[in-house]
Amino acid sequence: MAEPILSVESVSKAFGGLMAVCDVSFQMRPGEIVGLIGPNGAGKTTLFNVISGYYAPTRGRILFHGKDVSGDPPYALAARGVGRTFQVVKPFAGLSVMENVVIAAFLRHPRRADAEAHAREVLELTGLADRADVPAASLTLAGRKRLEISKALALEPSFLLLDEVVAGLNPTEVDRTIELILALRERGMTILIVEHIMRVIMKISDRLVVLNFGEKIAEGAPAEVASNRAVIEAYLGEARA
Amino acid sequence: MKDRRLLASFVVLLALACVPAVLRDTFLLRVATEAIMWVGLAVAFDVLAGYTGYLNFGHGAFFGIGAYTTAILMVRAGWPFVPAAAAGGVVAAVAAVIAGLPTLRLRGAYFAIATWALSRGIQQLALMMPATGGPDGMRLPPFLHPQFFYYAMLGVVGATFLLLWFLLERAPFGLKLKAIREDEQGAKALGLNPTLLKIQAFVLSAVPTGVIGGVFAYWVTFIDPASTLGDLVSDQALVMVVFGGMGTLIGPVVGAILIFAFKTIFWAYLAEYEVLYVIILGAAIALSVVFLPNGVLGARLRRGAPRPLPVPVTPAAAGAGKLEA
Amino acid sequence: MELLPQALMDGVMLGAIYIIIAVAFSLVYGVMHVIDFAVGEWIMFGAFAGFYLNRATGMDPFLLLPAVFVVFAVLGYLLQPVIQRVLSGKKGNPLLMGLVFTFGLSLMFRGLAQTFFGFYSLSIPSRFSTGSFFFEKGSFFLTVSHVRLAGLVYAIAITVGLQYLLKHTDFGLGVRALAQHKDAAGLMGVNNRRTSAFVYAIYVGVSAMTGVLIGTILAVSAKMAPEYTIFTFFVVVLAGMGYLAGVPAAAFLLGIIQSLFLIYLDPGYTLLAVFGVLYLILLVSPTGLFRKGV
Repeated sequence: MAEPILSVESVSKAFGGLMAVCDVSFQMRPGEIVGLIGPNGAGKTTLFNVISGYYAPTRGRILFHGKDVSGDPPYALAARGVGRTFQVVKPFAGLSVMENVVIAAFLRHPRRADAEAHAREVLELTGLADRADVPAASLTLAGRKRLEISKALALEPSFLLLDEVVAGLNPTEVDRTIELILALRERGMTILIVEHIMRVIMKISDRLVVLNFGEKIAEGAPAEVASNRAVIEAYLGEARA
Repeated sequence: MKDRRLLASFVVLLALACVPAVLRDTFLLRVATEAIMWVGLAVAFDVLAGYTGYLNFGHGAFFGIGAYTTAILMVRAGWPFVPAAAAGGVVAAVAAVIAGLPTLRLRGAYFAIATWALSRGIQQLALMMPATGGPDGMRLPPFLHPQFFYYAMLGVVGATFLLLWFLLERAPFGLKLKAIREDEQGAKALGLNPTLLKIQAFVLSAVPTGVIGGVFAYWVTFIDPASTLGDLVSDQALVMVVFGGMGTLIGPVVGAILIFAFKTIFWAYLAEYEVLYVIILGAAIALSVVFLPNGVLGARLRRGAPRPLPVPVTPAAAGAGKLEA
Repeated sequence: MELLPQALMDGVMLGAIYIIIAVAFSLVYGVMHVIDFAVGEWIMFGAFAGFYLNRATGMDPFLLLPAVFVVFAVLGYLLQPVIQRVLSGKKGNPLLMGLVFTFGLSLMFRGLAQTFFGFYSLSIPSRFSTGSFFFEKGSFFLTVSHVRLAGLVYAIAITVGLQYLLKHTDFGLGVRALAQHKDAAGLMGVNNRRTSAFVYAIYVGVSAMTGVLIGTILAVSAKMAPEYTIFTFFVVVLAGMGYLAGVPAAAFLLGIIQSLFLIYLDPGYTLLAVFGVLYLILLVSPTGLFRKGV
């Protein structure tokens, strides 16, 4: 593969005695969308947290554009071009939608005027431009999720980590978000997405990586993975339990 | 809208500048000078407390450091007043960096303990070091000129207020601080380094306080650890800001004026009951927290309370931490 | 150098007393997540209570300990709901506001103490105050004062009692559950309000009792409170916040530092040494000596 944009090499993350992520490895090419799936508690969010710098890996390395960034803090990764959204969507309360995005825009546009201009562009892209001056706290869940994506986009990342960006949305909103994600891919964004809603992740992912109990149990095109025994058992096993 | 408030501030400053021309009574002028001093101290305190949520229980230490630095430089090294007072601010800034580096990357509780302990330690130090004159304090070269000190205090506090207004309400710095106050973990993902920002805020809160301490020292001509490095400065600043409303810059001004008014009246009529004053201060803090959680002003300036999220769909949204799966 | 074993032993006996305050304080932190700035004041009030009760009844302070515990535990139980209300407030940072609240309380208490008790330093007399055991072996000698020994015995008894309470009673189980996971504990039937109130009550009672001990072994004064607040913070931070097993080591360390300064150096420098060590720990290992803090 041409220089991978992200390289997760034998990454493990332990909390005391609990091994949340165990020896996970995979790579991502620029411009592809990879879906990270697995039953609840499989370690997806922990892996996200390691990749985005919130946790240092207990073992293994994370390489971004070929550079070892294991253990770098999140703000360093943001500067390198990593953007992420959070599962628990919490906009900066007391600030407007615009202000929320401007804060992120400051990374590449230190001057307020430039940052505001850039923020407006981002809000146009994500469809929130008409609500730019309302308090962020007054947005609906769908709006907040869009705001979350807008903030990550304002960083002008080359790589995006999306954590359950469509959970809790109605089908129309889900489709709009899918459109947005695909539009981003068109512009060259590389995306790693965690999602529980199967139809979404099957539809947009080029490849899937499946985790169970912290370990990678499968990797490949969605169709392959869907028929993989280990994967089916992992999910069925969970449903049975 | 913001510019209207700025205009109002300019008008107020202009009005205040005319006060000595109108107020001939030197006693009242001194009261006015002290009132302005407390406004400055409260506003400086709010930079860290209101905008980052980190409470410096030893704010008075910066005041004392500024006072002593100025005193030592003027008395032992013969420096003139202005550079000495400025140096007070610089030394306070250094102290802020030293105190803040290990503590600001921790949670607010640790910071509160550490700053409280450190400020007492500094008082202890001043009591023991020969350079500071120990418990007997220091005498500065006398300069009796009430108008001069009024303008000095007004100048320092006014400049501080305007600078902080610009930095906290207009410049990116203020927004970034609000971001880390609201959601530190989330802010990191957006490229913000919370510890660095907090240290900057801490220094920003220390410098004016140090300079004000320097002006104070020259003004009152005599300083000692009990009065200048004691708890009273820290405690009063805390009440003023909590009572007035944190994180608004105007709240502390209101709080400072109200509490100062109370203090002046109290000391005018009830000076024998000095211990009562401490009790009232403590009660004011405790009651403000219970009954006025946003301060006198805070409730009105807040842009509407955030509404709770709709019924959570994912288990994570139901109250788990931001980083939990 | 011959005084070193004496200093060490005095330190250990003093440290034993600090253990119980630190444990109680940590319990409150674990269950209510609040740092009580007024801990030194509770100790001081307990000491004064012991002093005045002793003067009024003539009873030995060691016999008065249970009475002091009960009185202060009741006070703590009544006060706790107010703190709880602050902590569940809607303002941005309720935990920090809890801290500010207890800080305000500590100011109030300090002022009250100065009003009623003046600025004198007093000592509570006990039948143990004057006697001591004397050991000698060659050039090595130790004086174990009766009163410190009695204090040690009491400290051990209370520590054992608290340990038993935590590990072997339903109440203790509830406390530990609450400290680990408030919501889950609630779902399992642990009554947060009542358990928190009891924990706070125990903490205030224990702190007051310790005050009596300190007042007997050392001294009581209205100015002592902030010193003991710092001592408590020191022990708790050094042990690691929330890590009870680290408390004994940290408490003994404090006791030894205090004794060393008392015997060899100027006691006035004790506080400076404490600040210094506290600062270093925060710089180097904020999760405590054993890196197990929260």
